[in-house]
Amino acid sequence: MDERDVVRTEEMLLNVGPQHPSTHGVFRLIVKISGETILDAEPVIGYLHRGTEKLAENLQYTQIIPYTDRLDYLAAMLNNYALCHTVEQALGVEIPERAEYLRVIVMELQRIASHLLFIGAYLMDLGAMGPFLYAFQERERIVQMFNEICGARLTYNYMRIGGVRWDAPPGWLDQVREFIPYMRERLKMYDDLITGNEIFLNRVRGVGKYDTETALAYGLSGINLRCTGLEWDLRRKKPYSIYDRFDFEIPVGKNGDCFDRYYLHLLEMRESLKIVEQAIEQIPSGPVLGKVPKLIRVPAGEYYSGIEGARGEIGFYIVSDGKDKPYRLKIRKPSFVNLQLLPELLRGESMSNLLAILGAVDIVLGEVDA
Amino acid sequence: MADDSQQKDHPQQESETRAERSASSEASAPRPARPTATPQAQAPAARPKRPAPPPDPRVERAKEIAEKLRGVISSVLGDDAVEETGAAHIVPMVRVRREKWREAVQLLRDHPDWRMNYLECMAGTDYPEHIEIVIYLQSTSLGHFLCLKTRTPRDPAEVPSLVPVHPGANWEEREIYDLLGVKFSGHPDLRRIMLWEGFEGHPLRKDYDAWASGVNRIWR
Repeated sequence: MDERDVVRTEEMLLNVGPQHPSTHGVFRLIVKISGETILDAEPVIGYLHRGTEKLAENLQYTQIIPYTDRLDYLAAMLNNYALCHTVEQALGVEIPERAEYLRVIVMELQRIASHLLFIGAYLMDLGAMGPFLYAFQERERIVQMFNEICGARLTYNYMRIGGVRWDAPPGWLDQVREFIPYMRERLKMYDDLITGNEIFLNRVRGVGKYDTETALAYGLSGINLRCTGLEWDLRRKKPYSIYDRFDFEIPVGKNGDCFDRYYLHLLEMRESLKIVEQAIEQIPSGPVLGKVPKLIRVPAGEYYSGIEGARGEIGFYIVSDGKDKPYRLKIRKPSFVNLQLLPELLRGESMSNLLAILGAVDIVLGEVDA
Repeated sequence: MADDSQQKDHPQQESETRAERSASSEASAPRPARPTATPQAQAPAARPKRPAPPPDPRVERAKEIAEKLRGVISSVLGDDAVEETGAAHIVPMVRVRREKWREAVQLLRDHPDWRMNYLECMAGTDYPEHIEIVIYLQSTSLGHFLCLKTRTPRDPAEVPSLVPVHPGANWEEREIYDLLGVKFSGHPDLRRIMLWEGFEGHPLRKDYDAWASGVNRIWR
């Protein structure tokens, strides 16, 4: 039934953003609506474009690490690692065991912090204020721990090519160990508080659905891909670091709707806790930075490697001409790729579902715009 | 791995130097066997001319797979479709002629033995003589991981768009168009994405000069 037969409405263009509380950064969405129905949507990005790829061409490899902090600033540890991993692959350096374990611990804690923020922010997009405040409590504990290990709360610059910059301070690992049971309790609380909430369920069940074929065609990765039921996690599919030593599950969704995307965030936090727990038990003592030359020269050639970030596959493609600076550095930005499907998802939806769908894509504009 | 890629880049040089050295040690047989007896003394001089390490099996395998791919692509698209095969680090690499770019990607997507259905990464690089477009393709069902390339002259830079084959290439191509100035023919919506319309030049080109063109104009 054409809506215009019932109530005469005129098509109009509506700007969502660039400054809007639910756009998680400076992001503009031009929505063409007729009444309450979205006819078309056009994302406009680039407000936060800083030319990271161009800047990197004039920087030595170690100097690029702080720039990766500013891509996805909610999961900076994972970005740090993605760059270091690519360069290490190219150099073929050996990373000390303790460094690998510390990396895994901070990366999984980072994944938890990032997913917590997603849940808080997503619920706030949908009008629930409470979970946001709860989520920030736990995130604060993780951020404090990061502050102790590397001296920063958001832009860590903690990883180095060949290891990590600092060893964990005394008592730090015990703090993490104490955090695990606490966080498990809290996750149960989130499950009760949010997943059982009927209003929330009605807002997200069956909204923004797509299937595996579509997700793959659009190159989606991370939870946006796994919510369709495909088990595609690079920690398993292309094991890097020491992930093959841990026992953890890859939760997948069934319906590919917003609810699955929300719920996978919750389930993944549990798996991350499992990994952190095992890593803390196994961590050996020893050096945390491998033998790497002061001036890192990557042998001429091209290298690509991606890791499972908090939002999907974050990868670095490096072309080197044998100098200490990359000839070309390209970042595979998961948010940027994931966002492409948004206009398809919004077409024909009601305006009230806009924020539910946009929020579930889980974008960080610092990464989208690079 | 560093050793392997060195070996990859200068295989002939390395083997030559090794041959030279063995020849010279034979020639100096009447002299006391100093070079071999005191390896520490010899070490600093010999360090840049390390003996070639054994070839990396991963690189060798990647090259074999790339050769196999050449057969697959040229049997359908003609012998001249593939310009080069090799390995991008440890990933099989095939460079396809620009005119066959989309057909080759589509062929690999639909081929029952390959099923490269997932476009992982797309990048463009500006070289002095040409611009290279690189994609990394993944098969989620069969597990293959490949690197495909094509080249275009710098001016005019134009490559067939991959959007009809992989819709996910849409924004990646817009980004390359924006920052490198490569036109993608057949793209449904080729506009700048990071920079604004009216921006002059393409920043990721090596000859781009931020001070010569538009960027600093807003500060004047």
